[in-house]
Amino acid sequence: MKKVIKLTKIFLKNSFSNMDAQMGVSTKSKSKFLLYGLLFLYFAGLIIFLSYNLLDGLIQIQQEEIFIGMILFMILGLAIVQTIFSSINILYFTKDSEYLLPLPLKPYQIILARTNVMLISEYLIIFLVGCIPLIMYGILTGAGIVYYIIMLLAVILVPILPVLLISIIVMGIMSFAKLTKNRNKFQLLATALLLVIVIALSISTSSMQDDLTNEEMAQMLVEANGTIEMIKGYIPTVDYLIEALTTNNLVTTVIEVLKTIVITAISFVVYMLIAQQIYFKGLVGNLFGGGTARTKKGIKQKEYKNSKLYKSYVGKEFKVLARNPVFLMQCLIPAILIPIIMVVITYAGLNSDGMGLEQINQMVGQMTINTFMIACIILGVIQFFTMFIYIAITAVSRDGENAVFMKYIPVPLYKQYIYKIVPNIIMYMVSIIITLGIAEYILHLPIVTLIALFVVATIIGVLQSIVMIIIDLKRPKLNWDSEYAVAKQNLNLIFPMLFSMLNIGIMIGAVALLKNINMYLGLGIVGVLYIVATVVINKYLYNNQNKLADNII
Amino acid sequence: MIEIKNVSKSYVKGKKSVDDLNLEIKNGEIFGFLGPNGAGKTTTIRMITGILNIDEGDILIDGKSIKREPLEAKKNFGFVPDSPDMFLKLKGIEYLMFMADVYDVPQDKRKDKIEELTKKFEIYNDLNNQIQSYSHGMRQKIVICGALLAEPKNWILDEPMTGLDPKSSYDLKEMMRQHARAGKTVFFSTHILEVAEKLCDRVGIINNGKLVFVGTFDEMKQKFKENASLEDLFLEITEK
Repeated sequence: MKKVIKLTKIFLKNSFSNMDAQMGVSTKSKSKFLLYGLLFLYFAGLIIFLSYNLLDGLIQIQQEEIFIGMILFMILGLAIVQTIFSSINILYFTKDSEYLLPLPLKPYQIILARTNVMLISEYLIIFLVGCIPLIMYGILTGAGIVYYIIMLLAVILVPILPVLLISIIVMGIMSFAKLTKNRNKFQLLATALLLVIVIALSISTSSMQDDLTNEEMAQMLVEANGTIEMIKGYIPTVDYLIEALTTNNLVTTVIEVLKTIVITAISFVVYMLIAQQIYFKGLVGNLFGGGTARTKKGIKQKEYKNSKLYKSYVGKEFKVLARNPVFLMQCLIPAILIPIIMVVITYAGLNSDGMGLEQINQMVGQMTINTFMIACIILGVIQFFTMFIYIAITAVSRDGENAVFMKYIPVPLYKQYIYKIVPNIIMYMVSIIITLGIAEYILHLPIVTLIALFVVATIIGVLQSIVMIIIDLKRPKLNWDSEYAVAKQNLNLIFPMLFSMLNIGIMIGAVALLKNINMYLGLGIVGVLYIVATVVINKYLYNNQNKLADNII
Repeated sequence: MIEIKNVSKSYVKGKKSVDDLNLEIKNGEIFGFLGPNGAGKTTTIRMITGILNIDEGDILIDGKSIKREPLEAKKNFGFVPDSPDMFLKLKGIEYLMFMADVYDVPQDKRKDKIEELTKKFEIYNDLNNQIQSYSHGMRQKIVICGALLAEPKNWILDEPMTGLDPKSSYDLKEMMRQHARAGKTVFFSTHILEVAEKLCDRVGIINNGKLVFVGTFDEMKQKFKENASLEDLFLEITEK
């Protein structure tokens, strides 16, 4: 076990090694810690604000127990989404695997350490997002000490089963790696296959159809209810923990917790037994198997065609993003997948509480909220869905030590920064379109409203992209061994999240300040504010283009 | 032509990594830049190529200041960095076409130039593969091809022989000689003293940030010990 702990520490240290440098522990540490403290307080404050409002409403109608289910399913959802994006990378695409295999380590030690890394990485965010609302629940309902102990256990236990389940699926897919001739293509194929399996699991038997009536949609949601049943089927522990946290009977609480612990422990043993059989087949196949496929010799005439520099540069950025499984999973895919997964999970969650599309429409109709508020809520939802787009925040760091390339080619640095954020803006727009498509489907918004929302959200996307590349330039992570260290275990990744949270705060502020304003006027004011901010920050980028590159050496 | 005028650079206040460096690499010259690890070679090359800012002094590439006219200066050289692990996910041909777009290589010249360079380095048949699948030597070759594609007047190469097989190493040295014979400049750093001795018209030796010798090997021998080997001379100069 000592070796497992040491190995876990080394993996974590390796992954997070640059964080101290990024945090600037040595210089100006007090002001930086103060800044991080303030950011944390803002983030925590926002969660407290949202939790309080939701809980307050639920307590008034004596439905506060729904809140526990919501939070535990949100933790489950987060664990599923995070594991989808991280497991294949942590298990297979980290370079240190090559150095590990010759060492006198037992297979179970490596598997355990890798699994620990997956879990610990997840706990970082799950503790923040999960614990605060659950503590709020405890405070508002006057819960006793037992509640807080069970709550902590729940936050620790809930993510374990999804991590084990998805890891086994990944290992199953990757065990075919040694059979393939083209490893790169297989890695991408495996990534795509994993996504398909998980989406299929999420959507269950329902199939998306065009032109659904509300009744058909409601029927579809009833079928989608199978998703939640299915999740419960695979992850029954969530149900036990909801029961343990909401019952007043101590014996029931103890029994439900024991059931959860026993199921988790058995699952862990089964996971270890299966993993020891299949993990290393895939790992060795992925590292050394097959080699490259025979490719065509000679170059076709059209491949010599020149193109405009911006096309060539942006194309290069997209190729690097799309062909690297880690960057693909962490930077490109989330823009498309997160809105879809979140909507499916929310649908399933609402439906499990007996709410269908018609009820949602009715509820929105009955609410005394104006259209500007709805527009701001949609913009807030877009912010929530786009907080995991990491293209701009890793734009420079992704190039690693070769980022110096930017400095010796005869292309102005400002131009290169803009070329580098174009993929971020494009994927941001894709995310906006998906979210607006879903919003239109549920709320039947007029086309002009959709266009207005698209324009404002896109301006925010441009601002986000510029701000993020400035942060990456100021705090680049260039010395890395594994792409995973840049695209996942990188302290800078908190900034897109904070940016989104700040914008959600601005939306809440806008609704509070501009209560009865016409929606288009309101959106116009918000849009102009963001345009001004974008122009100012862009000017900063332009004026400081050379100075900002000082850290690229 | 590369002119380095009174150039200094410090990473830490009070300690100069490069101290008042003066050098002129003339047209038609192959210049070898030697020095022990940490002497200031890479810092100097990084300042010449615009990767690092210059604290004091200036560097001119064909008369263009890397400080004041960086884009014009950068158009005048092709640079091969010490690490060839560039854009590993791009195919060889994609990398070369990207470099051709960056350096505005005319459409009608691209095909011939790419074929000429890649066939010479025997990587033409691998251009459709991702650079990631290349060996270290092949990566080095593709980066060299990328740097030479636009036919820059000045070549700046950081440890260019590392990882090259004997034939490619020979070919590159031949290309360097041809380039110099055409009246152009080659500036390269190396640890391989024999290469420097056989290839360079002049060498510069840097130690602790200061240029301790500039000249031909004959001049070096005259100045120090006449019958000593190159290795002995190098050690004597740098361990003073």
